[in-house]
Amino acid sequence: MARVILVFNKKVIKEYPFAKDSMTIGRDEVNDIVIDNLAVSGHHARIDKTGDTYILTDLQSTNGTFVNDKKITSHKLLHKDKVIIGKHLLFFAMSKQEQAKAKDGELDKTMILDTARQKELLEKQAEKKAMAVSAQKGKLGIITFIDGSGEGEIQLTKKLTKIGKAETSEIRLGGLFMPPTAATISRRPNDYAISSTGGRTKVKVNDQVIKESHYLKDFDTIEIGSYKFQFYSQDSKDEK
Amino acid sequence: MKITAAGLSDVGLKRESNEDYLTIDNSTGLYIVADGMGGHQAGEVASRVAVQIIQKNVNNWITKNSPMVDLFDFPDMTLSQRGNYISSSIKLANRVIYEMSQEYTEYKGMGTTIVILAIMPSTIIAANVGDSRIYLIRGDTMEPLSKEHSMVAEQLEMGLISEEEAKISPLRHILTRNLGSTDIVDADVFEIEHINNDRFLLCTDGLTDLISDDEILSIIKNGNDPDYICQQLVSEANKRGGYDNITVSLICLNEQNDEKQGIIRRLGTFLKNKK
Repeated sequence: MARVILVFNKKVIKEYPFAKDSMTIGRDEVNDIVIDNLAVSGHHARIDKTGDTYILTDLQSTNGTFVNDKKITSHKLLHKDKVIIGKHLLFFAMSKQEQAKAKDGELDKTMILDTARQKELLEKQAEKKAMAVSAQKGKLGIITFIDGSGEGEIQLTKKLTKIGKAETSEIRLGGLFMPPTAATISRRPNDYAISSTGGRTKVKVNDQVIKESHYLKDFDTIEIGSYKFQFYSQDSKDEK
Repeated sequence: MKITAAGLSDVGLKRESNEDYLTIDNSTGLYIVADGMGGHQAGEVASRVAVQIIQKNVNNWITKNSPMVDLFDFPDMTLSQRGNYISSSIKLANRVIYEMSQEYTEYKGMGTTIVILAIMPSTIIAANVGDSRIYLIRGDTMEPLSKEHSMVAEQLEMGLISEEEAKISPLRHILTRNLGSTDIVDADVFEIEHINNDRFLLCTDGLTDLISDDEILSIIKNGNDPDYICQQLVSEANKRGGYDNITVSLICLNEQNDEKQGIIRRLGTFLKNKK
């Protein structure tokens, strides 16, 4: 059974299961979903269920009915569609079975275009992949050398960045006592964290020796051996 | 480095069948948990197929030391080679389940979540699609190494709802990503260095829906043997209702301290002699 979830100001006000074949929405009390707001017409819109299809129709309302930010007169509702009436959000959720059925319906239609559509999808994926590396969701960590060694800026594009003498290190540091890997910076679900490998070379963050790992905040200073650098993160959309 | 691991998958108290699946492979350091969904036990098929495809392909690529171009789909340059093996095997599993769900009526709508932990000499890789979870237990804290691909988690992250609202939200079991619903999927993959005594928990939402993170941490801290801890976790979830299948897997790392100390001693002797 599908549901309509009424949300206002980011708070869920009420949930309406779709028990009948149609539900009306409006300011008037006779409606199934009553929204008491001046921007909403007395009889604003209606959702009709036919078989497995849900159709939302605007009843010539004054301010209109919007689905996913587009104004509609009549619209076939899909799982997760966001309907805006006045200032209220009505979230349309289908049950898992209904979602599966809806998907079948779609696929029957696109079967004929299969190979062409597949090629299209693959091309889109190639574009997406090229962009994905430089535009990941969330922030991109950046390391700047601040000890005048002139190394400049290093972007932490990898999930795990190794720092040390080894040639395979993403950030190569020299020095007699520098181990192959002195520290690592790993991308976690929400932040970056620096870990010490526990060797002789101490890793300091903001002048404190770190024992195991430490979550990095913007402008933290990191010291490894005689190297000093600073960490900050920026929204990946801006980086090159 | 010594790995001790255990896992348990329980049907719970309310469901007719167990659509979760898990595998523990200490020889290759690969641990996988999956929570299947779909009518008429298609969920059992989905979770099993996903785990087996991932295990088979990751092990195969490792044995052959396959270059990135030989993998399925485009490589991800933010990941190491092993990370790519895992990410790629997930995409392959997704495609197979998707095709199966399109091809056979009894598999229509089937899908599964997936969480994978791969342990290597100095690093671990955590990968997931869906709302099953991986946690790192280090010292006194427990932190997630998985990103939750569910409606409420994304609302929470965007600041649209609060934690309390998320717990009771009617949308909380709606997934934004899983294996089998679309032909292409992206997993969230994280690579981190591990530290002596690190422990990792893989679990399905049958556990986390009923027991809070703090309580889970406390159960883990109060036990030493992974088998015992897994049993405690499952039993507690069942005590609280067992509404869904419950699957847990706990992996503990015990590094041999002697190795590191030996190196330091040798370095010390070397430097003394240099003088």
